[in-house]
Amino acid sequence: MASDPSSEPINPYKLKQTLAAHKRAVSAVKFSSDGLLLGSSSADKTLRTWSTSGDFSTLQEFHGHDQGISDLAFSSDSRHVCSASDDKTVRLWDVETGSLIKTLQGHTNYVFCVNFNPQSNMIVSGSFDETVRVWDVKTGKCLKVLPAHSDPVTAANFNRDGSLIVSSSYDGLCRIWDASTGHCMKTLIDDENPPVSFVKFSPNGKFILVGTLDNTLRLWNFSTGKFLKTYTGHVNSKYCISSTFSVTNGKYIVGGSEDNCVYLWELQTRKVVQKLEGHTDTVISVSCHPSQNMIASGALGSDKTVKIWTQERD
Amino acid sequence: MNAPIIDPLQGDFPEVIEEYLEHGVMKCIAFNRRGTLLAAGCADGSCIIWDFETRGIAKELHDKDCVAAITSVCWSKDGHCILVSAADKSLTLWDVVSGEKITRTTLQQTPLQARLHPGSAKSLCLACPLSSAPMIVDLNTGSTTVLPVSVSDTGAGLPPPSRNKFSDGSPPFTPTAACFNKYGDLVYVGNSKGEILIVDHKNKQVRAVVPISGGSVIKNIVFSRNGQYLLTNSNDRTIRIYENLLPLKDGLKVLDELSTSCDEVDEAEKLKAVGSKCLALFREFQDSITKIHWKVPCFSGDGEWVVGGSASKGEHKIYIWDRAGHLVKILEGPKEALIDLAWHPVHPIVVSVSLTGLVYIWAKDYTENWSAFAPDFKELEENEEYIEREDEFDLMPETEKVKDTDVNEDDEVDIMTVENESVFSDSDMSQEELCFLPAVPCPDVPEQQDKCVGSTSKLTDSNHSGSPLSEEAGQNGQAMNHASSPVEGNIILF
Repeated sequence: MASDPSSEPINPYKLKQTLAAHKRAVSAVKFSSDGLLLGSSSADKTLRTWSTSGDFSTLQEFHGHDQGISDLAFSSDSRHVCSASDDKTVRLWDVETGSLIKTLQGHTNYVFCVNFNPQSNMIVSGSFDETVRVWDVKTGKCLKVLPAHSDPVTAANFNRDGSLIVSSSYDGLCRIWDASTGHCMKTLIDDENPPVSFVKFSPNGKFILVGTLDNTLRLWNFSTGKFLKTYTGHVNSKYCISSTFSVTNGKYIVGGSEDNCVYLWELQTRKVVQKLEGHTDTVISVSCHPSQNMIASGALGSDKTVKIWTQERD
Repeated sequence: MNAPIIDPLQGDFPEVIEEYLEHGVMKCIAFNRRGTLLAAGCADGSCIIWDFETRGIAKELHDKDCVAAITSVCWSKDGHCILVSAADKSLTLWDVVSGEKITRTTLQQTPLQARLHPGSAKSLCLACPLSSAPMIVDLNTGSTTVLPVSVSDTGAGLPPPSRNKFSDGSPPFTPTAACFNKYGDLVYVGNSKGEILIVDHKNKQVRAVVPISGGSVIKNIVFSRNGQYLLTNSNDRTIRIYENLLPLKDGLKVLDELSTSCDEVDEAEKLKAVGSKCLALFREFQDSITKIHWKVPCFSGDGEWVVGGSASKGEHKIYIWDRAGHLVKILEGPKEALIDLAWHPVHPIVVSVSLTGLVYIWAKDYTENWSAFAPDFKELEENEEYIEREDEFDLMPETEKVKDTDVNEDDEVDIMTVENESVFSDSDMSQEELCFLPAVPCPDVPEQQDKCVGSTSKLTDSNHSGSPLSEEAGQNGQAMNHASSPVEGNIILF
């Protein structure tokens, strides 16, 4: 892992804390947009929130789902969190009290992914029933059902102004939708179409980061339909591993891997600059703190922990 | 941002009713600057703010002091305040986020229209009363400054005699139309003699006069959003578009220069000469067959389209012209007279209010762009002859097939920079704009949880009726009776 002459060697991330509280595999970890909370979802049917300051004490446990949870998302004001579960519902919780506010019914199979729009008046969810649904937060009504794919939908995300939705699926396609009308704007497909396990917009909404089950992460410009960067070196052929952008101290792509490590690639040079070791099972989800140099990762059943990694101060 | 991939083949104006909003009896509407919120003034004196994206109610502004019908609604430029004028002669300024009244003034007469000054101060507004000259109202002090409505006026506020007369013989008044220009330094008044007066509202001086041929009463006067075009609607059933020749800022300075360089001795002629350099007649629109009286004409958000409503014979028709003067569409609604109209600031959407109090949303009849689902396909307008290549069907050895590798993966990619949207680039606001109201989810009622299970067959595709809260019993804060409520059994907590 020779450092590129044009860039400085990365200040390495080190393990700060291990949070062992879930009784089964962790499925997703997310920081809230104000950076004060970390949320995690698990196959043990619960969500947990942790404080990001000090010793990462547990703040709340959210009970209510009948089956395991696959994804969670915080609203922009961090007052609400929503979760997607195998019990075919999306549930909306109050972060401070831990109480269930709403249950969004409508999907006919496992709900796999969920996200708020930046205005946090709508929730998008993707499911094994091959559809993407858009929900009204205030009333819980399903506003739109998008006939998105022909295989389970693995990820659904809004862009930074909430005007577009991107969805990905095992059918190998990524589709971009107009959030206000629900119409398909574009479909992205490569020559070979390996199942797409994850997709999200870049911070400026111009590019999408796509993870596919052929051990590859790509950065696409969706307007032109061409990919610009490829990131490899990790293992990803079975699980829907999430990845994200790290922009607080240089630009990196952070992603989990089935070899139990968290990989960091430099955005421009595409080189692997660090491998974070410590988990004992596939790292299924990673999240970057919005302002601090902190990464959270969650791993599957043999591990069941959430680990926090930070950069030491220079 | 999504401009590059939206299909440019479709004309950018609405075609069909997409949905309607129902809540009480709404009388007038206004979009906020970005079109994310729609404020509607009701007949009972309250003001409803709709979240236009979810088509649900985001906030209700109630005032127990004001129960008279709202005559007009106006957003401040930063979206934090709404100015409401009501039939009980009052003007109320509301703070949108808190839902609290900021200030309330009562005038001598009912204002038909009230517009906030486009600046950031939010203390001045232009009110056009029912039967006297328009005035500038200072909302903090309540003081009013009446604007001159004719050249002979010295600011005393007496309107010129007009054709209508009241039965008791008292001097007749006609409502005079007025609007601010884009930055609020000038007021453009349309009087009953068919003249457009450019008024410096600080000094109460008429600076220029533009007479309209025919001299019939001007009913509406409104600027396009970019300040480049002015629209007048006259009693002679003609809508006229003028090009604004003055610069957007510093209009007063240019008026001063024009005035001093003008040779005319007679004051009235001088004003007309200056006026001819401020506005140039661009187009006239009328329906030469049916000679319709136009209601609520206005521009589209980008100024490319002009829309006028017709309520003659109780109909609900919306005429859309392009700026060159061609009639592109007539939208016909249900047999309920049209009373107000607004074009969305950004999208090709028109919202109209009918006499029954319903708000109709008109949008494009979007046909699914099927080629968006398969990236290899491209849409054609008409059949094209396909010419095969010489080697189209030759069998090529595998090595010849080179993958498209013109992507240089070493190129820098910028994932952080955001381009400013050009539509809103004229922002000169000190306070951050309010684009949306935080959505507070209404809690599910515990015993309703079971009921919800069986009700999931209601799929969306928003062609079904109304707003989620249309099932509400009454709008005066009464909680719904659960037993009688249909699917969405929510308690509405305010």
